[in-house]
Amino acid sequence: MANAEWERLKEALRKPATPEAMAEAAQRFREYERVKRLSGKPGSKPTLVSLGFRKDYPTQIAVRDIPGELERNPAFFEQMRKIVGED
Amino acid sequence: MLALPLHDLPTRSASGFLIRYVVPRTGPPQLVGPLDRKALFSTLAVGDAIIGVGHGDPARFSGYRDQVLLDVSSIPDVRGKVVVLISCQTARQLGPALINAGAASYIGFLEDLVWVMDADSAATPWSDKFAAPAMMPIVNCVNTILDGKVTADAFVVMTTELMGNAAVEEDDLIASCLRFNAKNASLLGNPMARVKARPKVAFPLPPPPLFPFMP
Repeated sequence: MANAEWERLKEALRKPATPEAMAEAAQRFREYERVKRLSGKPGSKPTLVSLGFRKDYPTQIAVRDIPGELERNPAFFEQMRKIVGED
Repeated sequence: MLALPLHDLPTRSASGFLIRYVVPRTGPPQLVGPLDRKALFSTLAVGDAIIGVGHGDPARFSGYRDQVLLDVSSIPDVRGKVVVLISCQTARQLGPALINAGAASYIGFLEDLVWVMDADSAATPWSDKFAAPAMMPIVNCVNTILDGKVTADAFVVMTTELMGNAAVEEDDLIASCLRFNAKNASLLGNPMARVKARPKVAFPLPPPPLFPFMP
């Protein structure tokens, strides 16, 4: 059910992890989230989690906090690239 | 043996689904919550399967409060056992090391196991509709093993259901996570390995009490 905002996020995540690319990915994720909220699919407290051990990125992060982490944490940007950018 | 820590949101979510849908079919030892400790895990060699939830990396698998339970440099007696590690990246080194140590078969993941959960469901994690598309395929994989079927069948159940759920999922982030997990699932060792079949349990049973969540 991919939408245009999601596709733009995927494109942004395929770029090298420069501060500009990280800021762009963060903005794309905010836009995707805004569209998702408007489409009437909000969650209670959706949280992205993983079972990674002592990682350089959070193993639990509220979806609403993903843009901030994308913007400041290159390790999280790379992880999101693997999950979303390479999907 | 079941190893089911509950100390943070991801362990609580994954362990919660197994506590609801797998634990009733199994006997002791069931190391749940604070019982999921190295001292207990290492000394209990009974049973034909090890099914564990925990944080992991290529060489380590951890339990309650991230105590390391399994490490490539110190593997307990796993001869003949079927091992399922619901964890991150253990298929890279730990899975092969378990097979080299005599485990019959191993199912785990090459990359991070990722999913979206509802943090507001931490008290009853098995009712989490965000997490179910990722967790129920894993539950069904484990239950296929407990049905006495071969691990190859269980692996196909998991990966097919993950991809099937991704195909009908409306949330793009959840769908990407499901495909990522399916792509990185790994089966090592003898795909024809099986364990003794356990009796099926008619659901729904009353949900079990859980240790309170204290983030």
